[in-house]
Amino acid sequence: MSVLKPKDPFEGQGTLDDLFEQAGREQKPAEPTALTVTQAMNLAKGALEKVRVTVMGEVSEFNDKPGYKAAYFTLGDEGASMSCQMWRNKYSASGVELRRGMLVEVTGYFSSYIVKGRMQFMVNKLVIAGEGDLRMKVAQIARKLEAEGLMDPRRKRALPVLPERIGLVTSPRGKAVWDVIRTLRRRYPLARILFAGVTVEGDRAPLELARGLDTVVAAGAQMVLLVRGGGSYEDFMPFNDEGLARAVAACPVPVVTGIGHEPDNSICDMVADLRCSTPTAAAEKSAPSIDEIAARLGACGSKLAAAFGAQMQDAAHRVEVCRARPVFNDSHALLGTCEQGIDVLGDRLSAALPGMMDVRAQRTAAADQRLRAIGPRLAQGQLQRTAAVEDRLRRAAELVGARQESQAEAACTRLVREGGALLDRPQAQVARYAQALESLSPLAVLSRGYAVARDDAGRLVNRVSDVSSGDALHVQVSDGTIDARVI
Amino acid sequence: MGQESYTAIDEMTFAQALAELEGIVRALESNTLELEDSLERYERGVALLRALQGRLTDAQSKVDSLLGQLEPEKDDETADTTLS
Repeated sequence: MSVLKPKDPFEGQGTLDDLFEQAGREQKPAEPTALTVTQAMNLAKGALEKVRVTVMGEVSEFNDKPGYKAAYFTLGDEGASMSCQMWRNKYSASGVELRRGMLVEVTGYFSSYIVKGRMQFMVNKLVIAGEGDLRMKVAQIARKLEAEGLMDPRRKRALPVLPERIGLVTSPRGKAVWDVIRTLRRRYPLARILFAGVTVEGDRAPLELARGLDTVVAAGAQMVLLVRGGGSYEDFMPFNDEGLARAVAACPVPVVTGIGHEPDNSICDMVADLRCSTPTAAAEKSAPSIDEIAARLGACGSKLAAAFGAQMQDAAHRVEVCRARPVFNDSHALLGTCEQGIDVLGDRLSAALPGMMDVRAQRTAAADQRLRAIGPRLAQGQLQRTAAVEDRLRRAAELVGARQESQAEAACTRLVREGGALLDRPQAQVARYAQALESLSPLAVLSRGYAVARDDAGRLVNRVSDVSSGDALHVQVSDGTIDARVI
Repeated sequence: MGQESYTAIDEMTFAQALAELEGIVRALESNTLELEDSLERYERGVALLRALQGRLTDAQSKVDSLLGQLEPEKDDETADTTLS
């Protein structure tokens, strides 16, 4: 891009001095009418603001106090200095951070702050010199891919909710990689990190980054973090590479970019499923925090216990309701009606029975009477029959008796005969015993000549010493007693 | 009893186990199950809950370096004194 040489606004018109001189000359014939300073300055300002140019220069001074409404800086080259002013919002939007010595391109128009009589260049657009070219190329690629629909919001996939494996593609050196790892470690240690360390700057970077993407996907990553730390616009050029952008768009799993470069988005940012402003932010977005998960588990635990407990209580309550019903508590509840029925019937029975008994009694009495009436007749008949039978019986008995008699006689004779015989043996025995007894009897002894001596008192004398001379003695012999005296 | 239809918890991913657990909670809250089924689900739910809580406490970020050599993490002192 060529740099326009500032056009001299007063080319062909001479200097300001000449202008006023001319103004004065024109009015010389009449009375000369001089402008006020304000008028004059406004005149100049109007003329200046017609000059719109792009200027390239080196920043020699830079003022950016937070309270100011604009950024003030000075561009200069060997021959001149130009005061520049850029309203704060435009300056922020430019994405350029001015520093002394930077070579920049500014686009805008000249103006004047007439109160102080100062001229400055009002900057609308600010880029780093030489960057314009790059940006144009990037914009072209971006438009091309957008036309293919690669940036369509509908293409962007949701991230897996609880990933087990997270891919990380970035430089193995520097802060970004450890920012991400630390963040994941703190927030979501459940996931395994599949790391592909590649170069992120220079000509080889796009190829390496794409290779890193393929590697982590092949190893089973369920999503990929594509990140790099801060740097200049040139540093991020690999992420504007068309080949890499297509690889990101074609990635089979969601890609989250965290390329630290506000406010521009790289083309990779645009085709990614989610764009974050920094590597750390990308890490945080990739998964829920472990605290959230723990809380979710806790909620599950409570609900589980509550729901099950509620069902148990409900069941217990329903059982209790049944248990409390009269049927189970009061035996009469079930049988009461029957019992009452029984009582009623019992009463009726009791009431009925006497009546029934009366009836029966009456019937019995009637029957009795009839019976009595019939009785004698029946009895008569019976008597006759009885007599007849009696006769027959007697006759039979006589016959039987006769026979019996003879039988009896015969039996009697036998009885007598045998009865007598029956006595024979016992008689014989008795005789024998009598004989034995006889022989043993003291009387027999006495008959053999022995005697029994007694004294007067009747006491037995069986020793000589029992008596003394002169005593009376009574001697029993076989046929009597001899009274004697001892000599 | 239907235990055969349950997958071993060890073979389930965290997300799968959590999904099953939340399913059980919904089923129990719907109060449409027979008491025996509720008991069985409750026990399964408790087992899942314990396993998941265990996994959370035991979790440690592991980094597999597939490409390149990961430089060791700089401790705070070194990080402060080197230009990033």
